[in-house]
Amino acid sequence: MNTTTPAWLIVTLREVETKLRDKAFVITTIGTLVVIIGSIVVSSILGSRSTEFSVTATDESSYQVLTQVQKDKPDDVSLRIAQSTEQEARQQLGDGDLDAMLSSSNDGQAYSLTGFDEVDDQLRQLVADGVDTILTDQVLSSAGLDAASLPSADALKVSQLQGDADRNSMVKAMGFLFSFLFYMATLLFGMPIANSVIEEKQNRVVEILASTIRLRQLLTGKIVGNVILAMIQLLVFLSVGLLAAYLSPLEIPFLGVVSQVAGWFAVFFFGGFLVLAGIWAALGSLATRTEDLQQSSGPVVTVLIAVLFIGLYAKDGFLVAASYVPIASSVAMPIRLLSGEVALWEPILSLVILLAACWAVLLFAEKIYRRAVMHTGGSLTLRKALKLEV
Amino acid sequence: MLELHNVSRSFSDHQVLEDVSFTVPGGALTGFVGANGAGKTTTMRIIMGLLAPNTGTVTLNGIELSSDTRPNFGYMPEERGLYPKQPVIDQLVYLGQLHGLGRTTARSRAMELLSRFGLENRAKAKLESLSLGNQQRVQVAASLLHEPDVLILDEPFSGLDPIAVDAMSSILRDYASRGVPVLFSSHQLDLLDVLVDHLVIIQNGKILADSSADDLRASQASRHRISLGSDAGWLRNEPGVSVLDISGPDALVNFDSETTAQRILARAMERGPVTEFSIYRPSLADVYREIIR
Repeated sequence: MNTTTPAWLIVTLREVETKLRDKAFVITTIGTLVVIIGSIVVSSILGSRSTEFSVTATDESSYQVLTQVQKDKPDDVSLRIAQSTEQEARQQLGDGDLDAMLSSSNDGQAYSLTGFDEVDDQLRQLVADGVDTILTDQVLSSAGLDAASLPSADALKVSQLQGDADRNSMVKAMGFLFSFLFYMATLLFGMPIANSVIEEKQNRVVEILASTIRLRQLLTGKIVGNVILAMIQLLVFLSVGLLAAYLSPLEIPFLGVVSQVAGWFAVFFFGGFLVLAGIWAALGSLATRTEDLQQSSGPVVTVLIAVLFIGLYAKDGFLVAASYVPIASSVAMPIRLLSGEVALWEPILSLVILLAACWAVLLFAEKIYRRAVMHTGGSLTLRKALKLEV
Repeated sequence: MLELHNVSRSFSDHQVLEDVSFTVPGGALTGFVGANGAGKTTTMRIIMGLLAPNTGTVTLNGIELSSDTRPNFGYMPEERGLYPKQPVIDQLVYLGQLHGLGRTTARSRAMELLSRFGLENRAKAKLESLSLGNQQRVQVAASLLHEPDVLILDEPFSGLDPIAVDAMSSILRDYASRGVPVLFSSHQLDLLDVLVDHLVIIQNGKILADSSADDLRASQASRHRISLGSDAGWLRNEPGVSVLDISGPDALVNFDSETTAQRILARAMERGPVTEFSIYRPSLADVYREIIR
């Protein structure tokens, strides 16, 4: 008769088992994994592919410019140059065999670059630089000077004290990923907590369950089950993503920082998810039917969308403030950590605030749940639920 | 023995139970009857600890019940509830585990109960695919899985076909014969008449009767049925006799004492033949109607 398995653990196992058998859940998880791996693969393919231009000169001095461009171009650009008559070049341009043709005025002092319907910005810049160099050389040599004796443009090196452009775009990309994962998980695993509470309330199973085990155990089991599922899914996503990034042929910068912050994110995710789990459970117990949830979940979904936007767009002071507000901090603090300008005490303080909020919310949610879940007839408001006697 | 002592409960201003005390003896089937809204379900929920009484206590063998001492109760709520989309066997195993059974024990107990109700072939079916009567049987099975020490069943017979009623009755008798206190509510008074050993009657939150079925029947047993050879109208004028019903030579009467009964019998025999002079044994339905009147 006696087993040592505590009741909440049995409830947890049932939650996990039911979810793992849910086809929609399995498909979403696999789908997301495919998207994560796919996007890393695609971006490394795109990143390693060099840009290719094909330009034809219609006269000798234009060809000289193109030769200069060929010499100065960066390594990831390949340039095919040729010389032909203007008529042939126009023909090829029309057929799409050429990206552009370059012609010069008779005195060789003005050039025109012609594309079919547009000229690529990078190509235009390259050719403009080439023309500059050629014309400058001409002026210098006519004045009896050698271009190499001029001070070079590299004499000034530019650097920033704070952050850099590459890092900022990495922060942006990871910020998007963190925000999106948090948003998705809190809906994908939060909403089911509410639904499972409603299902038991609606079908009156809760009456049998409540006469068998304590409601606190039931609620604990439900929340723990979904937290475990959400955390496992998150960790799978993060580790598969990071692994794919390590394995990709492209050198992804800041991988070290990203991995470290991913760890912080998992911790903040856990706290933020717990707070929301409590809220979802309370909402579920207040409802009478699944339909009620659509109405009552509105504010929570709004908060989640707001957090998603904070993750995507918040900057400076606002981001710093958000990184101390529970739920928002789950996204905002990891984003700040990515930029590497945060003292260690900051995430720790934010985490303490988050866990305190967790404790308070779960306690309050349990109070609501215990009162409301046994109530029959009509959905409840928060105030009404608190007035109910147990 | 399960006992309620002076239990009262009100919801906001509405007093649902008032000073309710009664006994559910072990080893007997106790019927719990009363009109809709009389307080049966509230009483059962208080016994199960789903509701707290405002005042009063519930004891089992003299020990006051709390959530720690109420683990092994079997309960079937008035509003039936299980998971509609889950296979029958899975949810029975789950509930068995919550009651502290191991997975394999829970499974074999569940199969045993299902076959007792003729549902062994539907074990893997989703609950919602079963007929209402069969869902009801699963519900009963759910309350019996862990071989409870006390059984509290709210309307266990409602919605059952005659075969299932027989199966249910024999299961309840089984439990009672093991010494388990069994309390169940029902509106089917004919069924109670043949089934219960003890009856509790509640009306407007107050207990009107709490005694053995035989005692209750006996309390109404001062009635006599009399059949004479000629018109029985003269009985109306006899002292100590109250006539309940007369039609021609047949009468149903109450005597104020056994002496009166014997005197009337002698008078009747003087007047002519007496074909019947018997104590009328009321059914529990009669008793119930009499008491709540």
